Amino acid sequence: MLDRLDISMRANHVFSGILALAALIFGVLAAASGDVFYLRLATEALILAGLALSVDILLGFGGLLSLGQALYFGVGAYTAALVLRDVPSFWLALGVSAGVSLIAGIVGGLIANRVRGVYFALITFGMAQVVAKVVYNTRELGASDGLIGIPILEIPLGFVTLSADNPLGFFLLTLSIIAILYAVTAYMLTTSFGRVIIALKANEKRVPFLGYSTWWPRMVAYVLAALIAGVSGALYPMLRGFVSPELMFFSMSGNALIMVIVGGAGTLAGALYGAVLLTMLKSVMGSMTEHHLIAIGLIFIGAILFMPKGIVGVFKPWVERALTPRPGLDRAKDEAAFRSLL
Amino acid sequence: MIEFIQFVLAPQMLNGLALGISVILVALGLTIIFGLLDVINMSHGEFYAIGAFGALALSAFGLNYWVLIALVPVLMIPLGVITERYLVRRVYDGADRHVSTLLLTYGLALILEDVLKIMFGPNTHRPENPLPGATEFVGVFIPTYRLFLIAIGIAVILVVAFVVYRTRLGAMVRAASFDRNMAASLGVRVSWVYSGAFAFGVALAGLAGVLLAPVYSVFPTMGRDFILMAFTVVIVGGMGSIWGAVMAGVVLTQVQAISSLIVSPVWSEPIVFGVMVAVLMLRPQGLFGRIGHA
Repeated sequence: MLDRLDISMRANHVFSGILALAALIFGVLAAASGDVFYLRLATEALILAGLALSVDILLGFGGLLSLGQALYFGVGAYTAALVLRDVPSFWLALGVSAGVSLIAGIVGGLIANRVRGVYFALITFGMAQVVAKVVYNTRELGASDGLIGIPILEIPLGFVTLSADNPLGFFLLTLSIIAILYAVTAYMLTTSFGRVIIALKANEKRVPFLGYSTWWPRMVAYVLAALIAGVSGALYPMLRGFVSPELMFFSMSGNALIMVIVGGAGTLAGALYGAVLLTMLKSVMGSMTEHHLIAIGLIFIGAILFMPKGIVGVFKPWVERALTPRPGLDRAKDEAAFRSLL
Repeated sequence: MIEFIQFVLAPQMLNGLALGISVILVALGLTIIFGLLDVINMSHGEFYAIGAFGALALSAFGLNYWVLIALVPVLMIPLGVITERYLVRRVYDGADRHVSTLLLTYGLALILEDVLKIMFGPNTHRPENPLPGATEFVGVFIPTYRLFLIAIGIAVILVVAFVVYRTRLGAMVRAASFDRNMAASLGVRVSWVYSGAFAFGVALAGLAGVLLAPVYSVFPTMGRDFILMAFTVVIVGGMGSIWGAVMAGVVLTQVQAISSLIVSPVWSEPIVFGVMVAVLMLRPQGLFGRIGHA
């Protein structure tokens, strides 16, 4: 039996599927025309989409506004960079980054979960500030310059070995990793445990009366978001060859928030669309003017005022309607029911 | 030992106090807007920068610095009223007020920062110091302007506290923040009170901008650096508490000033933010309560 959440999730999958298809077409076309710049930009957009996805889990489903999600993105990126400088192994870097961001997420969650609402926003902001400043001041972590000289990776994928230098190959790999992260998130949220997370957003006070703990779902949502941000962050140094403390700064967390709001909070697909859109916008306008913040700020404010459900939210009701099974259409069943009445 | 106190510790603490008063001036507007309207104003730092740039632009017309101290905050009021009426109010009654107003003012901050960059360029300006030289204060030398800053800062804090806690106007504002409908039925024009309180906070940010411009240079992103400290002070003191902001402002800047004598100065900032995280963990509501909530 399908309920509202299942239908909503399927609608999200339709949107994400369209985006993935568009990404594949773009990748093939770009590779065929010998482009490198736009493929690398698109890969960066996908990596940022992972960060936006983690913000959406918290904001769109758990109702928790995190102003410091870039913290975990940075932790993942720095961990991967440190591992790669010693051992140039893709899977080891990805695994260690996932482990470290998981631990960081648990520690951060234990701190941030003590408070609610606006204080949650501020404590996540504060934690990210502390860590960013510490990294900024630690010479072993490259201080304000960050870490450079991350080697170009050879990535063994079982049947084929891929070079991170190959723009199409790395783009497709990033696309698959983000798709996996998306699938894990979507699955997690539709389990009965995930539904408690969503219930927290709807009405936190009622959840305990139904016999559920409010602490555990919130904690799991927070740690999952940290993990996703960390894994996405781990891909960053592989693409760009360096990491810098800016990855943890508030502007990074703020960007992810803008992506989620413009794309559509609480739709998962919206985070992906927002990331692609914002990265594109920045690149196109960045080549014309250095004052692109005005446009981004205007779009952001416009989205909050006139499009509170974001781009995906505008079209989602149509898709949901198309996906909703209409009971009246099953004529054989109707006739059987009618005869049994006679 | 006496020499250490006279030439190292005391000047450091006095400079810390000047910084503390500066931070409190910025934090005051922030805490009033939160305490009275329940809005986290992310664009507060940009209003502070607008105040500083406004003073810079007006002084080019030959206006005296002392006139600007009074003029700029008045000019900021319409800006505050417009922001409240046409932006904040539109999402104020939405489902999640904290989140939507915070995001909205964040968007506004992005726009304002870029507007300042377009109007004044990205470079750093250094306004002329109206009170050059140093003054001896119980055997300690301190720049005269910083001494003036401490004095006028204390005066501003007292006036603001007096207006909020001891006047009929302040009582109306506190009543409107405590129970909007009850205040409205007692004849308080809640709509005006909200615009007024927001504009008051914005004017205070502008005043801070004028007062601090001669000490800290003027540049488009100046709000960003300072606002972090101001936020920390507001959080530690208790969101919306005037006395809390004052106490936290003084204590935290002293922590920063004294800790930078012991460890490298670059570490004093993480220490202050660490204190903030610790306070939020142990006492999320801050050290003091809110305005209008006893």
